Amino acid sequence: MATRKKVLLKVIILGDSGVGKTSLMNQYVNKKFSASYKATIGADFLTKEVLVDDRIVTMQLWDTAGQERFQSLGVAFYRGADCCVLVYDVNNSKSFETLDSWRDEFLIQASPMDPESFPFVVIGNKIDVEDSKRAISNKRAQMFCQQKGGVPYFETSAKEAINVEQAFEVIARQALAQEEAGDFNSDFPETIPINLESSNNGCAC
Amino acid sequence: MANPLSPSIPPSPPSPSASFYDMSDDEEGDYNTIMHTRTGKGVKLLYSKSKVYVHPTPSAKDNIPGFIALIQQKSSSLAPTSPSTEARPTSASSSKSVASTSLLLAWVPESALGDAYDTYVKVDLSDSSSPPRQSYLVPEPPTSTTTHSSLGTYAFAVPVSEIYSLLVRPPSLGWWFGSVVINTRAGDSFPALFFHDSECESTILQRKKLARESFDPFSDGGGMFWGGDEVLRWLKRYVNIERSGAEPSIYLVEPTADDKLNFGGKPTTEKVRKSLEEENKNTPSKKRDGGMDPITKTLKEARWNFLEKLSQVTTFTRRTAQAVAENQNLPPQVRRLMHNPQVQTLQDEFDSARIYLARWAMGIAEQSERERMNRIWTAKDVLEMEDSAVGEFEILELEAGNLSLSERRKPVTLTEWNGWFDEHTGRLQITPDEVKERIFHGGLDPEDGVRKEAWLFLLEVFNWDSSKDERAAALNSRRDEYIRLKGAWWERQIEGNSTPEQAEYMRDQKSRIEKDVHRTDRTIALFAGEDTPHPDPDSPFADVGTNVHLEQMKDMLLTYNEYNKDLGYVQGMSDLLAPIYAVMQDDAVAFWGFEKFMERMERNFLRDQSGMRLQLLTLDHLVQLLDPALYLHLQKLDSTNFFFFFRMLLVWYKREFEWNNVLHLWEVLWTDYLSSNFHLFVALAILERHRDVIMEHLRGFDEVLKYVNELSNTIDLQTTLIRAEALFRRFQRTVEAIDKKGNFPAPNLRQRKPISATSSSDSVPKASASGADTGAGPASSSGSASGGAASGSGSGSGTAAQTKQQQQQQNKGKQTQGGQGQGAADAKPKEKVISPELRQLLSRKVEKLDKKEVRAHGGGVGT
Repeated sequence: MATRKKVLLKVIILGDSGVGKTSLMNQYVNKKFSASYKATIGADFLTKEVLVDDRIVTMQLWDTAGQERFQSLGVAFYRGADCCVLVYDVNNSKSFETLDSWRDEFLIQASPMDPESFPFVVIGNKIDVEDSKRAISNKRAQMFCQQKGGVPYFETSAKEAINVEQAFEVIARQALAQEEAGDFNSDFPETIPINLESSNNGCAC
Repeated sequence: MANPLSPSIPPSPPSPSASFYDMSDDEEGDYNTIMHTRTGKGVKLLYSKSKVYVHPTPSAKDNIPGFIALIQQKSSSLAPTSPSTEARPTSASSSKSVASTSLLLAWVPESALGDAYDTYVKVDLSDSSSPPRQSYLVPEPPTSTTTHSSLGTYAFAVPVSEIYSLLVRPPSLGWWFGSVVINTRAGDSFPALFFHDSECESTILQRKKLARESFDPFSDGGGMFWGGDEVLRWLKRYVNIERSGAEPSIYLVEPTADDKLNFGGKPTTEKVRKSLEEENKNTPSKKRDGGMDPITKTLKEARWNFLEKLSQVTTFTRRTAQAVAENQNLPPQVRRLMHNPQVQTLQDEFDSARIYLARWAMGIAEQSERERMNRIWTAKDVLEMEDSAVGEFEILELEAGNLSLSERRKPVTLTEWNGWFDEHTGRLQITPDEVKERIFHGGLDPEDGVRKEAWLFLLEVFNWDSSKDERAAALNSRRDEYIRLKGAWWERQIEGNSTPEQAEYMRDQKSRIEKDVHRTDRTIALFAGEDTPHPDPDSPFADVGTNVHLEQMKDMLLTYNEYNKDLGYVQGMSDLLAPIYAVMQDDAVAFWGFEKFMERMERNFLRDQSGMRLQLLTLDHLVQLLDPALYLHLQKLDSTNFFFFFRMLLVWYKREFEWNNVLHLWEVLWTDYLSSNFHLFVALAILERHRDVIMEHLRGFDEVLKYVNELSNTIDLQTTLIRAEALFRRFQRTVEAIDKKGNFPAPNLRQRKPISATSSSDSVPKASASGADTGAGPASSSGSASGGAASGSGSGSGTAAQTKQQQQQQNKGKQTQGGQGQGAADAKPKEKVISPELRQLLSRKVEKLDKKEVRAHGGGVGT
């Protein structure tokens, strides 16, 4: 495989279906919001070039289906990730409660070199919805992130483009730091055979 | 992306209680475009011009003479619909000016005119320099508004409001005829119309007149007056026509500010298109431009445009695909671009240029293919198009005698359908296979309501041998049953007599269904409205509103969720239900159609994904067998998991084709005419279409996934189906050949134990052959414990414990002998073996899961 001249940062976006993963990604990359994105089937990604300090990096943002049974096939995409974004809907407590299992699942599937230090970012989306519907307070989410070792936390609205840029800037930094740390381990295999069947080892079934 | 046409018109909500048959008359009107005005009153012929030809082939003897005409229709009788919009748009373009919607620009072959011929001639010869004083009525031309549905005829009539631009190319005396290509807003192009001015009496007269008046036969543009000028003059009387600054051969019809911007400024890649197209048009005889290779020439000009474009789109996003799609009518020759040294340089300089160019070239090829769709498709056409390793497609045999190929590919109309049934008993008078064969090749008429009836047979809600009365009775009991099922969960919800776990599951499922319904096919008029207040004020959708059809969808899916407890609702199901409901427009009937559809689709939604894995694995075997070179390449890209086909297989290409084509594709697949897994041959057909691009330009799993994902809405259905059929036949013959050689189809058991033994996490006991890890699927359990895949026994789909070394070893084995993986098999001579998964493809019997299987792997609450 040809060596890439630029740094490619692989970011995985996870979370329950309908929390706004696709919308966040599209808001960040295309500066667009549509109320009628279809449910994501399979997986897709968008890329965006960003400047982190003085370096141009390419972010590859992976969007996957939210229903958890489809994740067993998603293992191929987790590999080589530099950062994982966990998204929930601040108006839906269930989507917050599942963050833990999304995190665990990711760590199992992606099996990063050092799971303890692998960068996560948590996003509470849909803060544009009226306050009365809010189910998870900022405080509670902050506490959760604190417990997970100080994971950065952002509250966003993909619809109103609130805080999206800021969140992804931190995501980019986290990913870049992770990528650079990984470069020291040059004996890490360059390519990993991706096999459908290999997902059996970690799936919940 | 929201359809700009649909939201403004709230669909008329049909009464859900109305009977299935009651519905049809009213609703059918909506299916029609302009074709339904067969009132005999006729339309007003404003202008016409004779001796305008379509050149279907390079041979002059195939030229078809006809008239181009501007026709006025009563605007009330017209529901102009863009060909690309859905099956049921209501008067979509109501915002456009009445004038341009009631005007049709048409081309009619002389042979189709009959008695009206004289009128056309008369109008042609009348003085056209002023608006017509007298109105001539002619029968509405037998035409179609889309380039797709006009198989077998080139005639068309397109509402002027639907014309995006005209590509106008004045004649060059002695070299070529002047031509006009009509590009629609939907992105279609009609075949080029060639003005044979020297035969056209009116043009000759007009030239003479101009010569008399000004002593200068050369009109405004400096060129000689010709038929195309006249057409522009007609149109300018009614609509705003603007010549593009960037592209002088493009005339924009009622351009928006955006259009003007796009075409007004600097030259774009359109330049490449144009000059290449000219090159193309003049083949084979008139290639006298000589000198520099035109591709190189235009490339030099285009280079900076590429770079400019690429700087805007360093990421190959959907926007890029869009930009490519806008480059209409590029000839397939541009594919050669990819081999040009200058392009290679460009590729090296810009990483994403490679994929951009690959997609661009492919878009071009697809476009020119679409242009050719106006021709009668024969397998020979496909053959000419193909240059893949799968290679020369054989001409499809013309079985079933009397019908010619083009006849067979005409959609089945309600009249034809009804003709197959006894008028008294309502029993089918021909065999189900004969019906299926017709639908497999032609599909069903999208507009006359035949789907409503025929789908129920295809989905096996009705028995093929049933009588009219039996079907009515069946429908009635199905209706009662649906009401009962729906009532059951409804009641339980209200009474709350369920465990807390059940209640929570139900709540989750309910909100999942609601979320998905609100984002399923909302661009279809039926599902677009939000005019009804949401019944549940606590719903997250309470403030956006809903409509009766969305609510019906939710009820049906909730009912299914309860009905099939072992599986429950899973994402993707709403995509499968929407077309059935839209066609039936009756919730109870649609529910049972969906339920039957789900019987075969169930395997796609299992919690352990075994059904999807099986299909992806089968595709893996299929590619190994039929296109080993491509397979090897995919292996290098770590792409033999074929995950990039996941979406296509899960919801049967629902996201890849536009609505109308999805309906067509599904009814074809439902016939199981060649194979109950024909959808895998559709996948192969798509893959083969793009194999060259994949092999030459894509260098990683992510690139393949992105490339394939973005094929969405660019794939031509008709040619894909033809190709898929050819591939099936080829597959069939390959299997026969191998079987003949091996005497018996199922050879000895492969020694695959080492692999399956190491995959400790594999809980599936059936560790047979290559299907080891996917053995949970239904088909492989039915297959005997016989050989591996075609050539290499599924090494690309190895197991959890499979190490890199093993993989390499297998690769080696494959390269050297196309052999069967490892172990004892390595000693075998080179031989192709048909895996059970592949053999299953020859079966027409639908693989349905038994209840136990669903219970074990479904992931619902029934477990």
